[in-house]
Amino acid sequence: MISVKKNNIEGWLFVSPLVIWISLIILVPIYIAFELSLFNVKIIGTSGKFVGIDNYIKLFGKSNFLNASLNSFYWIIGNAVCQTFFAFTIALTINYKFPGKKIMANWIILSFIIPTVVVVVIWKLMLSSSSGVINSVLIDIGLLDEATGFFSSPNKAFISLVLINSWRWSPFLALIILSGLNSINREMYDASKVDGANFVQQFLFITFPNLKSVLFVLGLVGTLLSFNIFDIIWLITKGGPSSATTTLPLLIYETAFTKFRISQAATLSIVTSFLLLLFSIIFIKSMAPKEDD
Amino acid sequence: MIKENNIKLIFLSLSLLLIILIFFFPFFWIITSSFKSPEEIIATSTTIIPRSFTLEHYNKILFNSDFFIYLKNSLIVSFSSMIISIILSVSAAYGLHKLKFYGNKFVEYSLLVTYAFPGVILLVPIYLLFAKVNLLNSYFALIVVNVLFATPFAVWMLKAFFKLIPNEIEEAAYIDGASRYIVISRIIVPLAAPGIASVAIFCFIISWTEYLFASILISGDYLKTLPVGLAGIVGQYQIDWGFLLSGAVLASLPVILLFVFIGKYFVSGLTEGAVK
Repeated sequence: MISVKKNNIEGWLFVSPLVIWISLIILVPIYIAFELSLFNVKIIGTSGKFVGIDNYIKLFGKSNFLNASLNSFYWIIGNAVCQTFFAFTIALTINYKFPGKKIMANWIILSFIIPTVVVVVIWKLMLSSSSGVINSVLIDIGLLDEATGFFSSPNKAFISLVLINSWRWSPFLALIILSGLNSINREMYDASKVDGANFVQQFLFITFPNLKSVLFVLGLVGTLLSFNIFDIIWLITKGGPSSATTTLPLLIYETAFTKFRISQAATLSIVTSFLLLLFSIIFIKSMAPKEDD
Repeated sequence: MIKENNIKLIFLSLSLLLIILIFFFPFFWIITSSFKSPEEIIATSTTIIPRSFTLEHYNKILFNSDFFIYLKNSLIVSFSSMIISIILSVSAAYGLHKLKFYGNKFVEYSLLVTYAFPGVILLVPIYLLFAKVNLLNSYFALIVVNVLFATPFAVWMLKAFFKLIPNEIEEAAYIDGASRYIVISRIIVPLAAPGIASVAIFCFIISWTEYLFASILISGDYLKTLPVGLAGIVGQYQIDWGFLLSGAVLASLPVILLFVFIGKYFVSGLTEGAVK
């Protein structure tokens, strides 16, 4: 009976250590950022004068803010498309029976458990223009005439980074999709087979609809997580060439730690959180699966 | 029927081949390359089977670099973050799962939002906050941040594992006069051990791979973690590939070893419990 009645004091006792830890480390910094955004502080540790909402007004006239916002938008879309493709391919493949299935299911997330820096090392070596294995394979099979620099032009750099990031995240997402697949009742497939459905129809009418709630969480969390990517981009292109891969996180980092405009960086952080909050609310309101589904 | 099965088989083999090429081959490539001679690593014509074998890169990184300092730092930070995360999230997950209290839904949704909360937004203000309270350049600074990033998902996973434990077992213990503390330490934790193990790996991985905050909050060489140390080599104008590759392999080794022993709990935890 203990578990049924409301247990306010004991309940809060259990969750409060974590709640306090998280709120302190999120709310205090956000307050600091908001305060900073109203001042004109440049180098960390110095003080600036109060400028009100000046920083916010200036921000929207800046071309680098618009450029970074657009890049972030393309980054999210590109990653969503690539990761959905890879993650579904992996999940649907592992869902079949084949020899070595267990080993593959366990080790497919190797790319997710190694440090991001190692991901960067792997792909910098594989995609190197002078000695990369990808270049020499593409030349050998006749797809390329001569070695190409995968990070040399704005478009190539952007696409390469999207693929590298998807390589890191897709296996993890695949396992979460797999958990959704496991929860689908096997009998539904058997019944549809009796009715003569092929496996494309099975995917469209059984698999996909039943994954709705998993896909909702992935859509929300996945978007925010891809938005957040910093190290892969920073360590490979530093945001270049010509700012083509500077997303909002990189812009915030650059503004604060290479240009030493702390107040501007704080303003960017506040505006970015607001945009993401807006996105989350709209996404939840419009996409949340109904409870009875 | 036979025709459809054949198509399925072709699709399956094709996608298996694709997955192995894309997701496993790169590992084969950097591991073998880390044993190649410097000339072969940067040679323009590449062969899949290595032609040379040398241990010079490992020699250099193990005996002629700060590798062990970085390794020690990474181990201290990751283990501490993991232990604190587990204590906080087991407690919170139990509270959310078992004890209905005022505001429990709010805490639950807030955690989900926190999970996806972009850390980079906090970068500047956390730096300033830690500078104020003199936490820069300390293990604790990194632990504080890692726990923040690891716990929301940890609670989410743990709740799913706790749900698998039949309520009757717990009820029976209370009837026998056991206290809440005894029930948690003698029944809940042992029964959810595989789940807790997989959550622990998750927390360890999050801390082991963290780069952004470690690169900003730590400036002293003696406190740098492995990712930051490696990134220092990546950023050099003339990259010593052999050195970098052996470093990359060694930096991945601890998580891989951990995964050899408890990885299957992690994967089955993700695929069987996490999102239900």
